Amino acid sequence: MKRILSVFLVMVVFLSFTWAAAQAEADDEVTIVVMPKLVGIPYFNASEVGALQAGKDLGINVIYTGPTTPDAAEQVKMLEDLISKGVDAIAVAPNDAAALTPVLMKAKKAGIVVLDWDTPADPSVVDLSIHQIDDKAYGEHVWDLLVAEMGDTGDYAIVTGGLSAANLNSWIDYGLAYAKTAYPGLNLVTDKVPSDEKQQMAYQKTLDLIKAYPSLKGIVGISTPAPLGAAQAVQEKGLADQIAVVGTSLPTDSGPYLEDGSLRVGTLWDPAKLGYLTVVMANDFLNGKTPKNGQDVPNVGKIEVWDDNRTVIMGPPADFLKENYASYKF
Amino acid sequence: MKAVIKRFFSTKEGTLFGIFLLIFLFMTLISPGKFLSVYNLQSMAYQLPEFGILALSMMIIIVTGGINLSLTYTATFSMIVGGLAMSAMHAGGSSPLLSVLVGMLLMLVIAALCGVFLGFVVSYIGVTPMLATLGAMTLFEGLSLNITKGGAISGFPIEFLVVGNSTILGIPVPMVIFVFIIIGTWLFLEKSKMGMSIYMIGCSPKVSYYSGVKVKKILFQTYIIASLLAAVAGILMASRYNSAKESYGSSYLLQAVSAAVLGGTSINGGEGKVVGTIIAVAILQIISSGLNIFGFNRYLTNVVMGAILILVLAINFLVDRKSARK
Repeated sequence: MKRILSVFLVMVVFLSFTWAAAQAEADDEVTIVVMPKLVGIPYFNASEVGALQAGKDLGINVIYTGPTTPDAAEQVKMLEDLISKGVDAIAVAPNDAAALTPVLMKAKKAGIVVLDWDTPADPSVVDLSIHQIDDKAYGEHVWDLLVAEMGDTGDYAIVTGGLSAANLNSWIDYGLAYAKTAYPGLNLVTDKVPSDEKQQMAYQKTLDLIKAYPSLKGIVGISTPAPLGAAQAVQEKGLADQIAVVGTSLPTDSGPYLEDGSLRVGTLWDPAKLGYLTVVMANDFLNGKTPKNGQDVPNVGKIEVWDDNRTVIMGPPADFLKENYASYKF
Repeated sequence: MKAVIKRFFSTKEGTLFGIFLLIFLFMTLISPGKFLSVYNLQSMAYQLPEFGILALSMMIIIVTGGINLSLTYTATFSMIVGGLAMSAMHAGGSSPLLSVLVGMLLMLVIAALCGVFLGFVVSYIGVTPMLATLGAMTLFEGLSLNITKGGAISGFPIEFLVVGNSTILGIPVPMVIFVFIIIGTWLFLEKSKMGMSIYMIGCSPKVSYYSGVKVKKILFQTYIIASLLAAVAGILMASRYNSAKESYGSSYLLQAVSAAVLGGTSINGGEGKVVGTIIAVAILQIISSGLNIFGFNRYLTNVVMGAILILVLAINFLVDRKSARK
């Protein structure tokens, strides 16, 4: 009996604790859920800041929540719970598009507006699709940067975040297709090398690449930690003059490597802006406003809208160089 | 009557059930009208089975004194191979029902083969289960990735979605399957001769051997059965997510260990009850869904789950010590 009583006491303390927190929330306002692939990595932390700021600016309730591991099954479960909770709009960055289709259909049936952001979901179930960038233009842009740094002939390699990430794969595929016609002198020495979204792994794999291919002149890092790991390896080997590293990295993290040239240039969009834009678009849609091509969104800039009236592109990426990286805050 | 209830609540499972009721009440209170709604109860009944079956599979292996780190990848590897066949047959114009049956059968067969492999390495070669299954985890993941090239296998016939997404008399089909699995596992583990041997092996393989138990053979078969359970979870996941991918359910792996241990299974083997694991799975489910509906910070959800796990283990430990003193 004592045992049960003590457990009960613990629960009561816990209850009163969260009860207080519950009182603070009003219930009749608009609630928009923004779900990243996972929480707790710098990129999605930055977009959280933007999404919550947009909620504050618009006076609506924004819930930014996602799984702690990039597992589509976990996302499905959380979305089902959120549908039970009853929200007005759900914007999700799917870990796997196909896996989320049934649950997003359920959401639509429950009258919830469905958006995807960062990574596309099944187009047949979303009302709006918020893209940071035009994938094709971005892939080609990265290869243009590579050629600007290493010249249009020579050996190069690709270090990517993971082999199953749809957006990373599509940038690489567009980039490779573009290189085939635009820069026939480039020679990819081996298939894209995965790095598990970890800088340490990218560093290790790049050391291996440098050893295996001494003629390497360039490395493309795709996914935010990959260029940093590659640059770290190049820096350690003192090869910054021979091997040009370019890639998709966050400017603040890139600073140390941009300074000594081990990373030549990083290119990315501002994830906070993407979070902000997602919330604004969801709110507009709830109010019956569809996005228009060239529309000027406060705090974000001019957006591009495709002819399907559903695909929103945030805009061209920013390039981070030694000279300008310090002026960015993400 | 009172005495019976009192006695029930003083068993490990009874305490656990009491905790379940308290948490359920608590969740109902913090999200009025939302947690205790038909919609949410149904949605939890869809979510629970895939995890519950994986937890049962893990529990059986833990009872033998082992652990199966390749559990979720066994499920996904078999669902990928079976799914590939299913979608290929569907695209090739076979009747949907035939494609579904062949696909599901293939999933079971592949999982059984995974079990044969694991069982062989663990029992006949004698590799420590943790190392053997850790290796197998990477192996199955690698094989899966080679097939999918990192994408997902989809294009299943619409009939396949019935398995994971429809209801019978208002009860979700996965739940119905789960109930059968629970009964089957209970009969197998706690009522059959082989189940008895599994508990004995978990306590002491040496003593079991000298008592005439065919330790190697039983271990071997146990891994096959556990892998078949994983395949059933795989079928449910593939149907619920309408696709097959190597990473589905990867977060269930350690949760399955937690559920088994929370349910009173001894991590050293030889002890553990089906009903305990089921209550533990239900507890983890209502915490996860309840806090999610309430809008609790996701990291803190993990903290709460961890705290409850440690709390229950501590209580169990203290109870054990007290009864040992008596």
